[in-house]
Amino acid sequence: MVVEIAPRTFADGPRTFADGPRGVRRAPDLADNAVLVARDLLSPTVARLVVRPDAGIAPFVAGQYLALGVRVDDRIVQRPYSTASDPAHADAHEFLVRHVPDGALTPHLWTLPVGSRVRLGPPKGAFTLVGDDQRTHLFVATGTGLAPFLAMLRTLARRPHPPRTILVHGAARTEDLVCRDEIASLAAGGLPMTYVPTISRPDDPANRAWKGRTGRAEAVLGSVLRSAELPPDSLSAYLCGNPGMVAAAEIALLAHGVAPADIHAERYWTAAGTTA
Amino acid sequence: MAYVIAAPCIDHLDQACVTVCPVDCISHDPAADRKAYIDPDACIECGACESACPQGAIMLDSRLPGAWAAFAEIDRGWWIDPEWARAAVDAVDAQVA
Repeated sequence: MVVEIAPRTFADGPRTFADGPRGVRRAPDLADNAVLVARDLLSPTVARLVVRPDAGIAPFVAGQYLALGVRVDDRIVQRPYSTASDPAHADAHEFLVRHVPDGALTPHLWTLPVGSRVRLGPPKGAFTLVGDDQRTHLFVATGTGLAPFLAMLRTLARRPHPPRTILVHGAARTEDLVCRDEIASLAAGGLPMTYVPTISRPDDPANRAWKGRTGRAEAVLGSVLRSAELPPDSLSAYLCGNPGMVAAAEIALLAHGVAPADIHAERYWTAAGTTA
Repeated sequence: MAYVIAAPCIDHLDQACVTVCPVDCISHDPAADRKAYIDPDACIECGACESACPQGAIMLDSRLPGAWAAFAEIDRGWWIDPEWARAAVDAVDAQVA
């Protein structure tokens, strides 16, 4: 379709649509507004980045995400990451970041000196805990999809009477089952929790020493539902990570009889052409 | 590729897309614009805006139907020359209507 703008006078004279826009592209108003205060390698491919906003922590809810960006060639490259921080105690945001060798952002995040200026967007997202639900909370994550669940588990652990929780965490390699010490410490601190780590590539030499469950998170989910003797209306499910896992886990939960309203999902996007 | 805001946004401007965009790449001038515009250089193609739009106005540029094809250039153009983009919106709206 050819769009025609009949003779029309712009500030710089008559033009048509075909003449195209004139001027210099405006840069979005995205100033660096935070500092990278720590970067801990949790595995060869996963790091925990701690970022402190200059203006302090804006109110947020466990499960939300923020855009983290760095300046590359005078332009901000940013991607959304779920914060793992506890909203009640955070003075900075913790992010779990998987290194993508040919990504647009993570190679920079890996080499950025601690103390560097970065850009942090506002907290966003509706993937949050539902009210004061006392039913069993079932969390299913793959990879760095664990991050929002750390925030949620920390939030639940502060309740006087926290609900029973089950955390299924899937990863390709043992080394990527990160934050196990923190998960153990939450359980030791009184949060009723069943932790179910699983490895999806048991034949990988890196997993030779693994003695735990094997199989993809969504495959393990079925046996967890059966062994935990969870009636469908007794649980609230939260899914985060690979979109394929989320879709398969949704199907498994629906087949178990869980109501769609009790299944909450956050997909870590894998849009074509966009890499982190 | 990037997401594009097409004709159904014109004169609706619901702005649900602005709320959900994780990288804040959607904008407009409330005093002058009839629709919102996505910055194609900042869009990360997450699709959150597409799901949020109650008008069904947002889609990947590669999926724009022919009648709305011009909106890819209009969205890109607004970040360079808003006056040109507004005139183009008026023209497309008049032709589609």
